Amino acid sequence: MPSLSFLKSIGKNFIFLYKSNFKFRLGFTLILILFILGFTVSPFSPTSTRTWYAVPRDRPPSPEYLLGTSSMGRDVFWELCASIGKSLTIALITAMIASHIGLFIGLISGIRGGLLDRFLMFVSDTFIIVPGFLLLIVVISIIKSWITIPLLGAIISIVSWPWPARQVRSMVLSLRERTFVYTAKLSGMRTSKVLLFEIMPYVLGWHLVNFTNTILFSIGTESGLAIFGLSILGDNTLGVMLYWALNYYALFRGIWWWITAPIVTLVLIFISFYLISIGLSEHLHRIIG
Amino acid sequence: MLHASKKSLLEYLATRTIMYFATIFSGITLTYLLVKAMPVDAVENIIFGLTQTVAGVYDPQSINKLREDLYEIFGLTGKSPLEDYLIFIRRVFTFNFGPSFISFPTPAFELVLRRLPWTIGLLSVSTAITWITGNLLGTIAGYFRTRKFTKVLESIAISLYPVPYYIMALILMLLFAFLIPIFPLGGGISVIPESLNLELILNIIWHSLLPALSLILPGALGWSFLSSRTLTLEVLSEDYTRYAEFRGLPGKHVLRRYVLRNILVPQVTVLALSLGGIFSGALLTEVIFAYPGVGSLAYRAAFAGDINTLMAVLILSMVAVSTAIYLLDLLYPLVDPRIRYR
Repeated sequence: MPSLSFLKSIGKNFIFLYKSNFKFRLGFTLILILFILGFTVSPFSPTSTRTWYAVPRDRPPSPEYLLGTSSMGRDVFWELCASIGKSLTIALITAMIASHIGLFIGLISGIRGGLLDRFLMFVSDTFIIVPGFLLLIVVISIIKSWITIPLLGAIISIVSWPWPARQVRSMVLSLRERTFVYTAKLSGMRTSKVLLFEIMPYVLGWHLVNFTNTILFSIGTESGLAIFGLSILGDNTLGVMLYWALNYYALFRGIWWWITAPIVTLVLIFISFYLISIGLSEHLHRIIG
Repeated sequence: MLHASKKSLLEYLATRTIMYFATIFSGITLTYLLVKAMPVDAVENIIFGLTQTVAGVYDPQSINKLREDLYEIFGLTGKSPLEDYLIFIRRVFTFNFGPSFISFPTPAFELVLRRLPWTIGLLSVSTAITWITGNLLGTIAGYFRTRKFTKVLESIAISLYPVPYYIMALILMLLFAFLIPIFPLGGGISVIPESLNLELILNIIWHSLLPALSLILPGALGWSFLSSRTLTLEVLSEDYTRYAEFRGLPGKHVLRRYVLRNILVPQVTVLALSLGGIFSGALLTEVIFAYPGVGSLAYRAAFAGDINTLMAVLILSMVAVSTAIYLLDLLYPLVDPRIRYR
């Protein structure tokens, strides 16, 4: 069964990567902890993380309230856990959509070449040059009242596909010139088959790197939008937590635990996904060259 | 020969200029398509929100005018799509985005134009510092790749690179303004100026230090450092650099004439590609430090649902960023010793 051997090879690669690459190991462990906090731990919250004044306000960290409580009367620890889950969900949705659009466009652009390639790359260059964040600000301010978590993830993908597309395209361009691809083509293999069996295996690893980078980009963008008040302010995401903490001047009122919690978590998320991404690319450079 | 190279330079300038306008044009088209794809009742929603928040400020007549404006911007006039598109393009090229809502009769365009120098000033200075220090540090780190300080710099770069500018801004705010209170926490100036003098300029610089630092740190020790280090490693493995070393040229000479000279060109490209991201990041930094630039304006506009001002901000920023990239492109013939422009 080809799918079983495929899974086996992924597993083997993963174990090898985990054992041999310190950066990947560190990043992966941190992300695993964050995933557990966000998805497994957060449903056990004793108080609601979305209602106001569920717990006493402005309490510093203590055994009862691990990370203190906010001025909105929410337990910071449990709000943080819920926020990690929601932020990761948004990011995963963006990564699912944007990195696959990028893969598709990059493959077509690289293999077809010609006018289509030029057109697609011109469009993606436009997206790279235009300050994408402002584009999102305009779009989200128009539909502010309809926004949901999946929708937010989808909207962020509007500006996040060009980087994966460019990366995949340049991969395909360099692979196209390799001997084994020529051999396959000259022996009469159809273009779609060449793409699927000769080029895809090499691109897939980089696709994973792009996927990770898109997650990073999406989490950053969501929190940035939230600072502008353009996220789902009634829900819990890391950005929304930042928004309320900034709006209540948590820093100047000395409620440092409220604002430090999302900042530290965001920094941890960024660093660990980045570590995974460079760990992966180092590994790929070594096995593919 | 001289004549030929002159002509090719002109050709280069011409293609770049065409590309410049094409980019702006496609950016505007992109905006139009995105706005056009919005739900139909979006306009009514905006107007409804507006009358709710500042009821009584607008008379029915100006609201009707506003509705017409918005219908034109959103391409909902009921004419053919092509006509809608042309109307939109005409508005953009005459800089007519309608009145702003946040300070009502003032045209949105004027409002943005007033803020733009602040943003451009902050961005150009901090980006220049970022690019120069990042490249120098990266080249040195690449050249002395086995030294201890290189390893330290690399670890710092790896942890700074993925952190967005505004998170850096928040961290700096925690550190400097709260724990070690020496910098002002926000604003662009602390006194309303009567005339431009030295004291005022120093005051502006003093207030811009923290926002600038939050842009410089992740850049100079992040993307700029990492990419110039990688490029340096590549150049060092090239035959011509090896040859220079074998000839016994002093290390400083190799570093300056062989390495630095050759990484400048791709680094200009990297800078050009990063500008859009830097601009977006700067908007948030401005909001966090209450710096009176375009970002803070966009924040107020987003808060009030002022779509006219947001559109003006978006279009003008597009023009500003593409102009910056265009100017960088024009630098190529100056920094690149190898390429004869075809």
